[in-house]
Amino acid sequence: MKNFKKALTVISTTLAVSLASSAVMAAYPNKPINVIVPWGAGGDSDLTTRIWAKAVEKDLGVPVVVINKSGGGGIIGTSYVARARKDGYTLINAGLSNMLVTPNFSKAPYSFDSFTPIVKMTSVPLGVIVAADSPYKTFPEFVANAKNNTITQGSWGASSSGTILAEIIAKESGYKPRYVNAKSSAESMVSLVGGHIDSAVAFPPAFGPHVAAGRARVLVMNKEMAEYPNVPTFADYGIKGSFEGWSGIFAPKGVPQEVIDRLTAATAKAMKDPEVIAQYKNIGATMDFRHGPEWIADMKTTYGIMKTAAAEAKK
Amino acid sequence: MFDNIISGFGLVFAVGPILGIIAGVIVGIIFGAIPGISAIMAIAMILPMTFYLGPIVGITILLAVYKAGIYGGSISAILLNTPGAAASFLTAQDGHALTKAGKAGKALDMSLFASVSGEMLATIVLILIAAPFSLISLQAGPIEKVFLLLFAFTIIGTMAGESIPRGLLSCCLGMLFSMVGMSSITGASRFTFGYTELMGGFTFTPMLIGILVMPEVFNVIRRRKDPQNKLTITRSPNPEDNRLSFKEFRAVFKTILKSSAIGTFVGALPGLGSSPAAFLAYSEAKRTAKKPEEYGKGSVEGIAAAESANNAVCGSSMIPMLTLSIPGDDVAALLMGAFLIHGLTPGPMIFFEHTQTIYAIFAGFLLTDLFLLVIARAGFKFFIKVASLRQYYIFPCVTAFAFTGAYTTGQNMDDIIVLIAFTIIGYGMRLVGLNPAVFIIGFILTPFFEQNLDQAMSIVGTDYWQLFTSPFSWVFIILSILSVISSVRMRKKPVGLPKGKTA
Repeated sequence: MKNFKKALTVISTTLAVSLASSAVMAAYPNKPINVIVPWGAGGDSDLTTRIWAKAVEKDLGVPVVVINKSGGGGIIGTSYVARARKDGYTLINAGLSNMLVTPNFSKAPYSFDSFTPIVKMTSVPLGVIVAADSPYKTFPEFVANAKNNTITQGSWGASSSGTILAEIIAKESGYKPRYVNAKSSAESMVSLVGGHIDSAVAFPPAFGPHVAAGRARVLVMNKEMAEYPNVPTFADYGIKGSFEGWSGIFAPKGVPQEVIDRLTAATAKAMKDPEVIAQYKNIGATMDFRHGPEWIADMKTTYGIMKTAAAEAKK
Repeated sequence: MFDNIISGFGLVFAVGPILGIIAGVIVGIIFGAIPGISAIMAIAMILPMTFYLGPIVGITILLAVYKAGIYGGSISAILLNTPGAAASFLTAQDGHALTKAGKAGKALDMSLFASVSGEMLATIVLILIAAPFSLISLQAGPIEKVFLLLFAFTIIGTMAGESIPRGLLSCCLGMLFSMVGMSSITGASRFTFGYTELMGGFTFTPMLIGILVMPEVFNVIRRRKDPQNKLTITRSPNPEDNRLSFKEFRAVFKTILKSSAIGTFVGALPGLGSSPAAFLAYSEAKRTAKKPEEYGKGSVEGIAAAESANNAVCGSSMIPMLTLSIPGDDVAALLMGAFLIHGLTPGPMIFFEHTQTIYAIFAGFLLTDLFLLVIARAGFKFFIKVASLRQYYIFPCVTAFAFTGAYTTGQNMDDIIVLIAFTIIGYGMRLVGLNPAVFIIGFILTPFFEQNLDQAMSIVGTDYWQLFTSPFSWVFIILSILSVISSVRMRKKPVGLPKGKTA
């Protein structure tokens, strides 16, 4: 009965708000939800999304299907969702790269404003890494050398989130590295520990195992992490900005408020599940559950910084 | 260490893991054998289901699917000339030629034995010397990989058939098509002409099916009234033709060993994967073969080389993944995710922290190989029966699978358009005498080559001499030169052989 009443309220509100909307909704969700991951299977974003999907499925009571639509630096999958129906049954795995970087630095047929952010699940702080046998013990030492000599820095693609962030860091510190763009940060770490490049930017899931095994050293990170004690942050060196990768769920713009509330509630519940907490810890991601206007405002600030950086890069 | 392995076997010999392996092998063979549906898709689909199983059962299932999937690709490649995945397309060249000659059983046998031997060898290397091996593989950076890939390119000489210029032209076309889309290096869009759909480039599976499989369908339709063209695959009455004799196996045993070693090595190098491994092993086997002219026209040795190399990659891509937490290829990346979710963090410590689990998984690897051998062997009669149905049953099914396969990879209607476009291109290439197989080689190898070349150039800057400082590079430079010389030489020999088409 309760469900029926809820459904009635929803129907009447939907009708009242917009007659044009043809989607007559019985309580959301009543059929499988598709989440598009614009990257290949097995990466950080993919795993983060798969864990989320499995976890919210219990609460939502419908299958949450993860689909990998990769290619074109995430543009293919992301623009597909931007054009999808605004009924909450097609969602996108959003992150720094496809939401904040690509719309500014590449020709993408969508922007941050094509989406309604729903939740953020995890975040990872960017770090500057050197091999264990590197002469640079601290970030200032590294910068001092990098100012006078050309050093190589591993990243993953000229307009990728890694290089864009690395470029902001380099500019703030006053050096200019030569970027060696691998296919992924995991591959770039191979070049680093193999002694083929001088330094690299990467996130903990990629560099963590190498640091733990004593093959690599973190010079500086975006945020302090218990696993990496005594590693200074960018802010300690006066470098301003948010250098973190994150993973969240967005819907096409204009999705009904009910969908946002339902998914947020389901995620809130999932984020307290000890099994989910263990799974995120296992893949090396830090849980960073956020939603609502304050979070969206923060993202818009970073979007602005990226926009400025892109405008400067084009000069 | 040996007591670890034995206790590992103890853990795997339980109802759960054994049932898991059997199910995984069957699912893998089926997925691998259907053209267009690959092992990686099967693994991605099964992965969430294994969240609720223990790590030993969960991971052995995934690995069984992976190994059987890579093998399964060769079944349809041999019987129907429809390579399910890039890695098995060399197998299709030689295997289907044998099938046409009524020797399907022999080809299937060869590919199964080569696959299992390759996997076994790589698994043994993985168990015994994973850690030191992975440290050596780290020495191969972008510069060394450039030369290694250069050597892989020399396979063109083998595949090009009668005309080297046409082969080179086909390869260049393949390279050109592989550059369409967003450059993963600079982020620039290339040859997209403003279409967002082209940003991701041409999806590989629909393109492969379009170039290699669909034109065959048209050929069959075109020749349907030709009385010379039998519409069914005949089984040779001579039983010798339908199995692999021990003598034959012994004759190619050296090739299997060498190719498995090549596959193991390439698999341990992060970022290359099974297709380059198969190409390398194939051209090396041909370079040193007694009858190189048979390659591409039904050489048992060719099948042995390609299959043992691409299956060795299954085992050895685990080496950098487990010891250095570096996934060797896309499948290894997915499997690494599975390890992580099950709470096993890959890295050198994994052998100490989770000794029992890891050795149980290794034991599962070896057991999977045995089950694969038995299950696949039992299925041969059935597979051959399916393939010897009349072609007017088979080819409509192939067409249906081609379209479904093209669609399911990315669940994207654009891929159907890619399939149709490349069917036309592939058919056209056959008409003007270009070589579709070489086209595919250009398409597959170019992205690897480009990415590594770009990194190599960033590393050396303007000091180009640094490209030639590594002994590793020189090994591959010399091998490339030798390979080119031997292809040219072979061509100079008086050609008394009947002209055969490679595709």
